[in-house]
Amino acid sequence: MFSSFRLSMTWVHTWFGLVLGYVLMACFFFGSLSVFDREIDRWAIPETRYEPQPMPSFDKLLLPIFKAIEPRQESYDEAQKEVHGPLPPREKMVAGEFGAYTTHRDPVLSMFSSFDVPNKPKNPNVDHVHVFGGVTIDPRDGTAISDDKLKIGSRFFYPLHYSLHLHWLDLGYWIVGFAALIMLVALVTGVVMHRKIFREFFTFRPKKQTQRSVLDLHNLTGVVALPFHFFFAFTGLVIFAGIYLPVTGPMFKAQAEAHEKIEEERTGLPHDPAGVAAPLASVDAMVVEARRRWAERDMAGEVGFLGVTHYGDANGYVSVYRAGTDRVTLTGQGIHFRASTGEVILEDPQPSTVAGIDDWLTGLHLQHFRHWLLRWFYVLGGLAGCVCIATGFIFFVEKRKRQHARSGSAGVRVVDALAVAAVTGMLVATVTMLVANRLLPPELPARGDWEERIFWLAWLLALLHAGWRSAPMARAQRSPAWRAQCLALAVLCVAAPLLNWITTGDHLFKTLSKGYWPVAGLDLVLLLSAGIAVLVARRLRHGEAAEGVEQENPEASHA
Amino acid sequence: MRDVLMLAAALVSSAGGMAWLALAMKGHWQQVCGGAGPSRAAVLALRTLGALALTASLWLCLAVDHPSMAVLVWVMSLAAAALAVAFTLTWRPRWLRWWALPWSAAAAG
Amino acid sequence: MAKALPWFPLVSRILAAVAGGYAFAWGFTSLVIALSLQQGVDYDEARKLAYLLAFLVYLAVFLWAFSAQSLLRVWLVLGGGGAAMTAAALWLVQPT
Repeated sequence: MFSSFRLSMTWVHTWFGLVLGYVLMACFFFGSLSVFDREIDRWAIPETRYEPQPMPSFDKLLLPIFKAIEPRQESYDEAQKEVHGPLPPREKMVAGEFGAYTTHRDPVLSMFSSFDVPNKPKNPNVDHVHVFGGVTIDPRDGTAISDDKLKIGSRFFYPLHYSLHLHWLDLGYWIVGFAALIMLVALVTGVVMHRKIFREFFTFRPKKQTQRSVLDLHNLTGVVALPFHFFFAFTGLVIFAGIYLPVTGPMFKAQAEAHEKIEEERTGLPHDPAGVAAPLASVDAMVVEARRRWAERDMAGEVGFLGVTHYGDANGYVSVYRAGTDRVTLTGQGIHFRASTGEVILEDPQPSTVAGIDDWLTGLHLQHFRHWLLRWFYVLGGLAGCVCIATGFIFFVEKRKRQHARSGSAGVRVVDALAVAAVTGMLVATVTMLVANRLLPPELPARGDWEERIFWLAWLLALLHAGWRSAPMARAQRSPAWRAQCLALAVLCVAAPLLNWITTGDHLFKTLSKGYWPVAGLDLVLLLSAGIAVLVARRLRHGEAAEGVEQENPEASHA
Repeated sequence: MRDVLMLAAALVSSAGGMAWLALAMKGHWQQVCGGAGPSRAAVLALRTLGALALTASLWLCLAVDHPSMAVLVWVMSLAAAALAVAFTLTWRPRWLRWWALPWSAAAAG
Repeated sequence: MAKALPWFPLVSRILAAVAGGYAFAWGFTSLVIALSLQQGVDYDEARKLAYLLAFLVYLAVFLWAFSAQSLLRVWLVLGGGGAAMTAAALWLVQPT
């Protein structure tokens, strides 16, 4: 079909890259924001702007809160659809499992309960269905943080980058997964296409014609961050491999069950409740013991995750995991205690080689480590990916725009309008959401839902604007939508820190002098973005003016 | 504090190494120093220095963090350094002449 | 690439790469798990190993699907190979 290997790889790079590039843009950008998701949460929920807190006392503070958690209505309704027969009434359900989770960047504590469902699941590959409930608290005194307040970083941008918030049939996960595969494909095909990968390693020539200079930038950002791009796409696939290649259910159900039995015998951690009631010993004492054991092995000893399994049952056990801030690998060195007596059942052994590699790859992507330089490097890598994708779109358009203008084809006009929406439109939607977060009334019911709606609406408007203003593309000229959206972005990026100041009093001088980086950092990044957006808009205006001259006087361009 | 200084040194080392590797290429050398390009001996010396600086950067990263983390920091520092050198070559190429000094002086003299 | 590519072979090739490649990756995953289980490897371990390799295999066959000359061979290797490996895996783990 193709006359040469290189041509076939070029075709794959161009067309798969173009179509999935729009998805990848969102994955890379919101993935980059997720590096600082907790900090964005602080900006968005001002009452949580205080220092990160350690895990509080379980016995005194957490247990009463756990007992009061009710099943969430959506989770209850969801479970009802998955089982035969009516569920027990929501308020009568009893929690069988608790978990509390925090990190070195979290001033708030996330708590969840899982409620056992006695009904038989409809899916034969599923053992049990659970209903979940949860609450986020201030660990200093146990006050709950209203669910109406959206954690924009960790509950919106972060899941957006791997699920697109498209939950029907897990469609979002599948689209992102396919996009990640195409990212790997684009990297390999890109290396095949690139004739001068070493000779042009440091090359960027902005003064050459647009087509050449965007290709320089495409190659530069693609090549220097190649390991980053490869490993993030690859580890993203490995993390959700169970969704993408669900072989266990249909093929290895018996083996998986046998594995659970062996695992239960090996670890001594009961898989099922005994059905006999039993009290809960002091969990705080267990935490003290766990920290003593970590200290013995010379490891940082903050508790990251605290869980109770089979609560109130004779088979119940408590698991204490440490926050593995000193390692890339996803590690917890969990220590498990019998819930009724507090004796140690098991200390997690060293993982096997394969599990060790898997944990390292997962940890590399999920970054629980404490290393600010590496975090910023990740942002740099992610943004380099965004530039690489965006310049890919522009190169595609530049290469074809004259030909399409002559033949009257709308191809590049559509591609360009979508690119405007995917690049500047996405940025406009993101900052609009932050602005909305500061403008919506604090006590508005379901405030978070409104913030989400405004985000999607802003993005949709950016797309419509890009399409509406795309007419000059028909004459092979640049769409003015790029410049207009850059200016809109600049205005929004200035408005957000100003509104933050007005509504919370936390202006930059205050946050900087206190060294409160979560808010100061985001404000500074917003102002920096405003500056860049203005510069880009000015350059685009020069470009448009030059095109105008060229149009009126074709000789001018050859002068 | 020691860790911060060591990581800063690693960054400088990566950037310097990338600058030397860039200067070993004729086109970039001409951007920075003009003239005919580096001599054969200069190319060899620049490449060696570049490789040594990048190795030094890795060593500094390893001295700060657990090896599994240090490798990531190092790889990302290479990417950042390469971008920094590329943009310096684009907008302020003369800044890199300090890295070419002994050889550019020899060529001039 | 000035002249348009004929649409039927192109669509067929895209399908072969995406769906055939997926079938191949599925078969590969199943077979690695089944063979590891035979060697006495723990199920969880076997699954992790298979997943680490599966996406690299998918990547490789995806690219091969576009570079191979014969479209028929692409379909046979990817679709047929995927089915054969899945069948082999099922046969290996069947209760005796």
